[in-house]
Amino acid sequence: MAALPTGAPLSGGTTDPARDARGSALQVDGISKSFGSVQALSSVSFSVDAGEIVGLLGPNGAGKSTTMRAVLGLIPTDSGEIRLFGKNVGVDPEGTKRLSGYVPEAPALYEFLTGAEYLDFVADMYGLDPTTRAGRIQQFLMGFELAGHENSLISGYSQGMKQKVALIAALAHRPRLLILDEPLNGLDPRSARVTKDLLRNLAAHDGVAVLFSTHVLEIAQAICDRIVILHRGHVLASGTVAALRDRAGLAGRDLEEVFLALTGTGDLKDVVDALSR
Amino acid sequence: MELHRVRRLASTLVASQLRAGRSSSDPASFFGRPELIGLIDLALFLGAAGLVQGGVGAASLSRSQVTALTNGLLPFLPLIATAVVLVAGVMFELTTTAKFAASDAANWLPISPGEYLLASVSAIAYTYSPAIAAALGGVLPIVLMGGTLPVYLATAAFSIVALFEGAILVEMVRSATQRASSVTAGRRGHASLLARASVLILVILLLQLAFNPVFLLGIAQRLGTVALATAAVPFFWSTEALTQWVGGNVEAGAVFAIAQLAFVAALAYIAIDFRERSWAPTPIEVQLEAHRYATRNPVLALVGLSAAESALVVKDLKGLVRRREMLPTLVVPIVLVVLVLVEGSALGGIVSVLWVGWVAGFFALLVAGSSIGQERRAIQSLYAFPLSVGSLVRAKATFVLVPSLIVAAALAVVVGLFFGLSAPDVLSVLLLVVAASIVLTFWGLAFAARYSDFQERPRPQFLRPIGMLAATGSGMALLFAILVPGTLALLYPSPLSVPMGLLGAGLTVGIGGLAVYWTRSGFRQLFRSLPF
Repeated sequence: MAALPTGAPLSGGTTDPARDARGSALQVDGISKSFGSVQALSSVSFSVDAGEIVGLLGPNGAGKSTTMRAVLGLIPTDSGEIRLFGKNVGVDPEGTKRLSGYVPEAPALYEFLTGAEYLDFVADMYGLDPTTRAGRIQQFLMGFELAGHENSLISGYSQGMKQKVALIAALAHRPRLLILDEPLNGLDPRSARVTKDLLRNLAAHDGVAVLFSTHVLEIAQAICDRIVILHRGHVLASGTVAALRDRAGLAGRDLEEVFLALTGTGDLKDVVDALSR
Repeated sequence: MELHRVRRLASTLVASQLRAGRSSSDPASFFGRPELIGLIDLALFLGAAGLVQGGVGAASLSRSQVTALTNGLLPFLPLIATAVVLVAGVMFELTTTAKFAASDAANWLPISPGEYLLASVSAIAYTYSPAIAAALGGVLPIVLMGGTLPVYLATAAFSIVALFEGAILVEMVRSATQRASSVTAGRRGHASLLARASVLILVILLLQLAFNPVFLLGIAQRLGTVALATAAVPFFWSTEALTQWVGGNVEAGAVFAIAQLAFVAALAYIAIDFRERSWAPTPIEVQLEAHRYATRNPVLALVGLSAAESALVVKDLKGLVRRREMLPTLVVPIVLVVLVLVEGSALGGIVSVLWVGWVAGFFALLVAGSSIGQERRAIQSLYAFPLSVGSLVRAKATFVLVPSLIVAAALAVVVGLFFGLSAPDVLSVLLLVVAASIVLTFWGLAFAARYSDFQERPRPQFLRPIGMLAATGSGMALLFAILVPGTLALLYPSPLSVPMGLLGAGLTVGIGGLAVYWTRSGFRQLFRSLPF
């Protein structure tokens, strides 16, 4: 079974250009967004540096997916500014999308295409030449154990297989910024591990910036350099896991306890007792 | 069978249809509630009654004229109801993807096939009830003048039965296409997809024709046995019953009435059995030949499309022939052409040219109207790709124009040969039909950009009902405006031919320009913000 390459050609070298040329890949300044009477985001600000993995955490409905969609320019914000590598998303949407790879929370693929056809289609969207794309896609298919299934219609794939196709589609054109909305949903343990290690490598060796949302806090704790906690559309806290622990006054505790304490949802005993009756 | 459960499910299915489109639509709004259709029924009934009352009053008809009008109209209302539900139903009720159908709650909730069928059929009949409400309202003033209220009440009852009859047939088509979808199970290669598409098209086509009253009547007329056909074909039994009653033959009418009800009951029984045996919409793994990675289709490159635009067109064309929910669209021109061929050379000349143009334009409108909604939730990827709005317009327009122009050319040639038109006339017809198809392509795209429905849920549609109605109504009017001057100039040469031709060309260019402008502004608006 072929392992997904973690150095060349995906990472492209053994030096550490990310750290050398570290700068802001994504700058979110005071964005707000409302849907009718619902205020989804209120003055949200944070940044992601090149080579950094930032975890976007928050309870359901906190505004994580809205933030990610706004970052990509999928929805316009009411106020504030978003810059990708210095380019304003609102001013140059095509240019900024070209630099990004996106896995939505619930990837909806074209199920009447085969996996290979879909990835070929996405490669055309990003202008990848046929020779490069064939080699790169094949490598990913083998790494995610999809080789042998690529000529089947996606409609026959399991949820995990579809998630793998969505991940490959986001990675194949080697974006400089990855926006991943719960990317490990439905993945088997091996593929989840491959994805986590790959993200670490891409960030460390290629300087790829990663904005990553998950509800699995162990994963966030393991791979994220910094955490941004969103709650009811506001940035509740941000920083390294250690800094968040200090802020919550929970030194030595894991991220789950810190998260529950910061979001005010820590005392769950009464809820569990009530549900158990 | 628990009727409470049936009522709740039917109400949910109707609401699902009404709440099509944007996720921001307020579920508490009256416009998302099933009662809305009842209100529309009432408004149409009263509106039509009022309009006709005014018209009849102004025309001051004699009693004998009123009676003739009543006797001519009433018996055919149930037939129209069945035809409306069948044609519109098959077009718009079969757009559920296999993926969604497999996870449809009706599959795993404790709902029996009989309960599901009754609920679904009630929802379909209720959805299409406005058409018959308007017709019943329209004939009421005439009926009151003629004093034939009992026959009118029977007509109303039979019209409701006919709505259910059409809805049951739609459910049968739904089950049959699910069954036909599995024709490629265990097979490989593109040939298997082609086989599946062919079987599905054939199933829809045969069911459409076999149960289409217009088609059956056309066949009967050609055979010269209308009287025998109406007595022998169950779809005409309501008409027969009403005709007999109007003629004073109460017993004969009762026989046909009972036979009609028995036929609908038998259809329902068969439909339940169909669903029980066929409803297994598990997505099937279909494996194709090894994919060859390539870029930019050479033919599409010739017309100036970029690699990304070309990829979008190819993707959509594959969807058109591979997706079960898209195939009814392909059946439309075939059904309409078969209908005109069955009607035969009696139509001839101007009608045949108009008909060909109408079918081709309507087909372009249908494909264009579905071109954005058929993306379903996968449209979010189009927002994430580095594509300009101009690219999206070019790609979608090309996707619609490819099949539409093929259909237009084929229709012009087939009808030209069938009616023995000369080569220059065929060429003129072709130009007319191509022009109509191009204009209707952009007209449909303009509506698709504004009224598409992206939801994956029970009773999805590619276009929201309001958009579908507006696109169809305005599209028909535009086709008329584009086709009539050119057709008259073509078929009746006179000193007025040149001005007529110029008028047709002017209207085509003017409306086409407006449609392109409206499409571009619609796409700009649509792709400004993800619609869900």
